[in-house]
Amino acid sequence: MPSRIASLFRNLLGKNTVERALDAELQSSVELLTEEKMKDGLSPSAARREALMELGGVEQVKEEVRDVRLGRRLESLARDLRFAFRTLAKSPGLAAIVVVTLALGIGANTAIFGIVNGVLLRALPVRAPEQIMVLAAEQKGAAMQAYTVSYLDLVDYRKQLSAFSDLLAYRIDLVGLSAGGRADEIVASCVTGNYFSALGLQPVIGRLFLPGEGEKPGEAGMMVLGYSYWQKRFGGDPGVVGRPVLVDGKPVTIVGVGPKGFGGVHPVLEMDVYLTLNRAFGFGPAPNGFGFYRGVRLLEAMGRLNPGVSAAQAQSSFDVVTARLAEQYPGDDKGVTVHVVPEKRARPLPMMANIIPLIAGSFLALAGLVLLLACMNVANILLVRATARQGEMGIRAALGAGRGRLVAQVLTESALLALMGGAAGVVLGLWANNLLGAMFERGISNVPLRLDWGLDWKVFFYALGIAVFAGAIVGALPALRASRANGNAMLRESGRSDSPGASRHRLRSGLVVAQLAGSLVLLISAGLFARSLWRVQQMYLGFDPDGVLNVTLDPHGIGYDEPRTRSFYRELEARVRALPGVRSTALAFYIPMGNFQEQRTVYLEGRPLAKGQLPPMMMLSRVDPPYFETMRVPLRRGRGFAETDNATAPKVAIVNEKMAKQLWPNEDPLGKRLSIFGPSGPFTEVVGVAQDGKYSLAALQEPVPFFYLPYAQDYSSMMTLQIRSAIPPESLIATVRRAIHGLAPDLPIYDVRTMKQSLAGMNGFFVFRMGAVLAAAMGLIGLTLAVVGVYGVASFSAEQRTHEMGIRMALGAERSDILRLVLRQGAVLIAAGVLCGMAASWALTRATATLFVGVSATDPFTYASVTLLLAAIALWACYLPARRAMRLDPMAALRYE
Amino acid sequence: MGKTKTDLLRGTLDLLILKALSLEPLHGVGVSRRVAQITQGAFQVSFGSLFPSLHRMEEKGWVEAEWRASENNRRAKFYRLTASGRAQFKVEERDWNRVVRIMTAAVESA
Repeated sequence: MPSRIASLFRNLLGKNTVERALDAELQSSVELLTEEKMKDGLSPSAARREALMELGGVEQVKEEVRDVRLGRRLESLARDLRFAFRTLAKSPGLAAIVVVTLALGIGANTAIFGIVNGVLLRALPVRAPEQIMVLAAEQKGAAMQAYTVSYLDLVDYRKQLSAFSDLLAYRIDLVGLSAGGRADEIVASCVTGNYFSALGLQPVIGRLFLPGEGEKPGEAGMMVLGYSYWQKRFGGDPGVVGRPVLVDGKPVTIVGVGPKGFGGVHPVLEMDVYLTLNRAFGFGPAPNGFGFYRGVRLLEAMGRLNPGVSAAQAQSSFDVVTARLAEQYPGDDKGVTVHVVPEKRARPLPMMANIIPLIAGSFLALAGLVLLLACMNVANILLVRATARQGEMGIRAALGAGRGRLVAQVLTESALLALMGGAAGVVLGLWANNLLGAMFERGISNVPLRLDWGLDWKVFFYALGIAVFAGAIVGALPALRASRANGNAMLRESGRSDSPGASRHRLRSGLVVAQLAGSLVLLISAGLFARSLWRVQQMYLGFDPDGVLNVTLDPHGIGYDEPRTRSFYRELEARVRALPGVRSTALAFYIPMGNFQEQRTVYLEGRPLAKGQLPPMMMLSRVDPPYFETMRVPLRRGRGFAETDNATAPKVAIVNEKMAKQLWPNEDPLGKRLSIFGPSGPFTEVVGVAQDGKYSLAALQEPVPFFYLPYAQDYSSMMTLQIRSAIPPESLIATVRRAIHGLAPDLPIYDVRTMKQSLAGMNGFFVFRMGAVLAAAMGLIGLTLAVVGVYGVASFSAEQRTHEMGIRMALGAERSDILRLVLRQGAVLIAAGVLCGMAASWALTRATATLFVGVSATDPFTYASVTLLLAAIALWACYLPARRAMRLDPMAALRYE
Repeated sequence: MGKTKTDLLRGTLDLLILKALSLEPLHGVGVSRRVAQITQGAFQVSFGSLFPSLHRMEEKGWVEAEWRASENNRRAKFYRLTASGRAQFKVEERDWNRVVRIMTAAVESA
């Protein structure tokens, strides 16, 4: 195949033909000369020798001829370029419009492709990244899939699987780092010992972890610094190796610095540091962490395939192992399957693997449409210009310029325009991505992100490719025209311009219809995204998000035990409640659309599970008594939590409506008992039913089961203080910080955000806003291009018909008749464009219906309003030239030309 | 000014080739022999200069090439002047005559 492509290229360049012809020519010359010498009486061999001598070396002659040929080609290219520059410089306004138009189209594509490339295409900076597989575990019956594995399962997978050379796991955690008298909140991966060796990474200084290191209880904690964090926090000081620091109050030793450019294996989050896995187990000397429960799945797992093993083969061997473990540990591993997904296809989350290519494809398609619209505009402009330059082309053709030369010259010009547009487009696209990146960062607050949406070779070649493509498209029509350059006909036609080729006019009208249709598709997409965003923002979430500040804390990080943590929170709530502007406060573990969530297995009293049946897993939050009132979560039945529901009182729970309906259909849930510990209890009594809420993006459409436990009866050290305020919640941040540090000076504050910010964030509506912003930007560009196109054609045709208008008016036509005449013509084009656009949108947006929430892909409101908007603006673009035509003085119009 | 001499020489060669071809289409060897003939053997054109010149003229569109049978029934590439080649020949002929007139006048003026 490559050799065929190479020969194609040679033929394209005409090199083969030239070479062969040259060979034959010299060969025949040798024969002619030999014959001549033989006539003079030389022997054949002597004659041939003499002939070759006279020719002076066949190879030298060939070389000289080749130089001539190549030189000519370069010379004519240089001349075309010079000529193109001169022509463009003569009409800088036109060149600027063309370049800007193309820059918009190419910029939109560069921007979108830059994002797709950064998120989906860029390989992990590790050895042989194509061998890295994400191991996404699923358990049948779990309410929500976290795609994580347990440590004990990982150990068994390692022992029993031969398809992988290494299996590694990590857990991302926010930790507090104290070093050199300064405490920071940082993002860490707690990693298995083989993490770095499996990825094939080398330290910049010091060493990385060794296989097996940090996976046993009681081992000393160790830390590897990420390269960029080392630079940022320690100024690249090589002396940090061996230094002891505190992580959440526990001693840890820095052993080395990771390689430059590596920020962990998460596609979006940038790791500051890496800790040994025993940090995730609490560094405890005893097996007290989650690492020692097979059913507690909290580790993200990856594997490196052995060379020559395919993902499908690895999958089938994995299925054997998971089935074996399910039999061996039915209590924990029943229903577990592990999906082997190539790392690139598991971004940004394994569960989004299906929708992300759809989103990427949709936006690339929208950007492609923008480019197509831009190309149509430019083609239109160049066509008009080609018409104006017919005379020039005709003269050149008459003077003997070959067709090839004329086409080459026209194409050189459009290629030059496209490349200038491409360069401007790349700059524009990168600028837009910087802007989007900044928006992204603000949307997600304090977590460092890796947003390499910038230029790399792939983006560069993509932009270059579409620029060349654009150049070919916009150059094709004028070049075709030039190739038909016929001195006679052209010179004749350009003499009279009042009867332009009807076919050419039809072509331009066709372009306008296509432009309107394309721009309507863009606008309808933008409308659907915008309405989607509006719908989710209007959606009732099951609580009142206005005027709430969330502060996430974890006193365990600085060594507080349970009693101390509880009294800290009690004291903190009292102090904050006393601040001016604060209405009430509550403590909650789970924040809707928040960063942390928990699910528990739920067993029902008096309802033993059938053999092989799995108990359901359900999301929960632990909250203190003022929660329901503070967050304004309506209680439908029973009561809320009270101060009397304390550690010694009987255990109680509040379930949501969905959970009540699912667990006790057609029964009164109040008084029913469930257990989160095991089939034989201890049991918790349901005392209330809360209204369903939107707890996460996945629960946006359909309610999911959810329950609440009193904080006094179920403990976690990490909690979020939710503050309902009477004043803008942002203004409370400083005083709340002071209140916290007045109680616990070293306590890191993981997250301070208003509920609104949290909802707009990464786990919330960010995706919708991003989609709406991108689609709206492209819709606006599309609208502008279409309006410019319509205006251009309308004014061109109005100008061409000036003479006719004059005659009509001289014969007694009213100005309003003229106006109607011009407008009718425009209205026909607009109607055709709008109809085509509606049909195309209807066909296209249904393919992406899953991207829209709360709005149908054929939403009549969006279709109608957007169509009206486009039609009105397009009609206005027709009206302007029509009004000019209407104001003509009939006599002047007749004299025109 | 070193360039003038080679330009002049190349110009001379081009003019001679154009002249040779203006009489009838010829192949490469034929051009060489015809130039020798019309200059009474004063110019022996080397093939190392002749072929590049012919190809350059072909690129410029002054000559067209065609494969046909030679006088001895051998296949050979024949060059023929095009319309623009003929025009070029006229231009070069006129320029040359002017140069000769001016140079002669200059050299003979005492």
